[in-house]
Amino acid sequence: MKERLAIPNLGNYTIALAAMVDGMGAQPWWSTYTDDHAMALGIAAAPESVCLPFKAHLGHFIAADDAGVENAMMVNSVGACRLNYYRGMLEDILKDMGRKIRVFGLGFDGLKPPIFRYLDPPIIPLLRCVAVGLEKVKAIDTIETQTAYTRAREINTGETSLLMECCLRELTQIKTKKDVRLFHQDLSRRFASVAIDKSRSPLRIALIGEVSLLRDRQLNQNLEQILGHQGVETKNFFLLGGEIGNTFGISMGYKKQTAKQLALIAKPYLGCEVGGHARDSVAHTINCAKAGFDAMVHVCPAGCMPEVSIRPILQRVSQDLDIPILEMSFDEHTCSLGVATRVEAFLDILKSRRQRTKIRRFA
Amino acid sequence: MRRGFLGIDVGSISTNVVFLDGNKNLLFESYARVGGNPIDSVKARLKELASLMREKEMEVGALCTTGSGRQLVGVLLGADVVKNEISAHARAAVELHPDVRTIIEIGGQDSKVIIIENGMVVDFAMNLVCAAGTGSFLDSQARRLDITIEELSRRSILSKHPTAIAARCTVFSESDMISKQQMGHAQEDIIMGLCHALARNFIGNVARGKQLCSPVLLQGGVSANLGILRAFENALGCKVIVPRHHMVMGAYGAALLAMETDIDKSRFRGADIWAHHIHTQSVNCEDCPNNCEIIEIIDTGEVVGRTGGRCGKW
Repeated sequence: MKERLAIPNLGNYTIALAAMVDGMGAQPWWSTYTDDHAMALGIAAAPESVCLPFKAHLGHFIAADDAGVENAMMVNSVGACRLNYYRGMLEDILKDMGRKIRVFGLGFDGLKPPIFRYLDPPIIPLLRCVAVGLEKVKAIDTIETQTAYTRAREINTGETSLLMECCLRELTQIKTKKDVRLFHQDLSRRFASVAIDKSRSPLRIALIGEVSLLRDRQLNQNLEQILGHQGVETKNFFLLGGEIGNTFGISMGYKKQTAKQLALIAKPYLGCEVGGHARDSVAHTINCAKAGFDAMVHVCPAGCMPEVSIRPILQRVSQDLDIPILEMSFDEHTCSLGVATRVEAFLDILKSRRQRTKIRRFA
Repeated sequence: MRRGFLGIDVGSISTNVVFLDGNKNLLFESYARVGGNPIDSVKARLKELASLMREKEMEVGALCTTGSGRQLVGVLLGADVVKNEISAHARAAVELHPDVRTIIEIGGQDSKVIIIENGMVVDFAMNLVCAAGTGSFLDSQARRLDITIEELSRRSILSKHPTAIAARCTVFSESDMISKQQMGHAQEDIIMGLCHALARNFIGNVARGKQLCSPVLLQGGVSANLGILRAFENALGCKVIVPRHHMVMGAYGAALLAMETDIDKSRFRGADIWAHHIHTQSVNCEDCPNNCEIIEIIDTGEVVGRTGGRCGKW
């Protein structure tokens, strides 16, 4: 019987991570979003003022421990964010609670990450599974972007979301790299089968902010879908393919500008790294303003140091480049009605902005 | 039958109804406390409205619901438009004062600031988890002082030397207020101090970082409070206008929005609905792991609509 390994939630990308973990000789324990039960466990166990993603990860691991999972892994992010210490904190809190689950870091301290030292996977099957995982990441990137495009134009509301779920379920079952490729190639045909209104020119809104909030639909209260169902084309700036591609210098289909390029763009407003993806967010906002996006939505966990510190900076960018930014702060008390009201009012503003510019153009 | 336009604002504390004729004349306006049951409250308002409509031989041309209960009541009554309260309040303010630049709207549970340029909303902010700047806070303080909310309003402006009260969260404000009482400050001064604290808290938290330009409108349930009005004028250093239908601005805006929809036949299920037996029940949708709680609205034994759920299926 293989030992089980709980992996942190990264939205739909967890499907790809799970495929990679398979190759480590452990059975993955995962979900694409933190469910209500895990969330409640995390909130009860975590310090009150800590950010929402931490609570979600903690709850996820406690739920894993309840299910008898032996190991868990957590990223050791490098950078100025508190996330750096989160693996250690998770480990300590779980230990204090008398939980048996072991938390391994993914960072390098020595030649191999600790998780590899422990599980000691044979190298060939590992590489094979990583290759499958990377291929799945590319496919998920495509699913995410295709969904955003189609959902904003669909004629029957909800059809695209269902198709997305269906595609992700299928992708989970696929075992070989070749099959993932075939599946990936077939995606554009499947999304084309959704009836869309091509004449529509939907509002284009880019989502920036903290990674877990951008990708875990429980944490962001399904923000992307809410926007999509109101006919907004979203661009989510966290695409794992681009991130991996930049980190390891490989081609992953979707290109993201490198950290260096983004830093240069952000420089007039923010000259140093503040942790997380905060500097990238500033650069993305500048890029989007120039690319003619209608607006940005900045999702930020309450108390997240990097994201909170760029708020005033984003406000300045917003004034200078005339791009509206909706600031959304999430914690466990955020109610879905408040989210809906803000989003609706914001969309009303954007629609009237569009009308005004149209009038100006004809005048 | 002449067509009229109905706007219903179902808030946390009150249910407001406005009925306009085709020339934007206000025929019916009602502000009433919800008392914990929005459906019954709406039914009671509709009962009054139904008799007026019969008398004037009018029908509902279009209905728009707004406020935090907009979805529920929208489904229940068959609304043609369901609009968020920010847009509704802004619409009403622009109608009455076309040159308005800033709207301060303080309701029962939340407070908002809306920034307007050339009659268009350009920015807004809403309180997050803090209730220190809202009507329910004043309500609970009035109850603690054992006076009505109307009396609180009247007595606040009698104050000559308002007491300084901590303007942070309700808990701190309240304990500060108790200690000031025990130090022997006059009740009027404490009440006015409270109003100042609320206004300061609003400007510091909700409207943080926003330029509040004149003309400023104060609306929502709390706008009836003279002390709050004075406190805002004091804090902003300019005149603050309380518009004509300030208590029912949300509903008024909703009625205007209803009028602007271009529909032939309203989906309104009839003003006689007040006589129906309506209740709700919650069921769990088990179609996906989300397990959303769905609210079914049942009108005399028949399911007339459902709300809730994350996927948009219901």
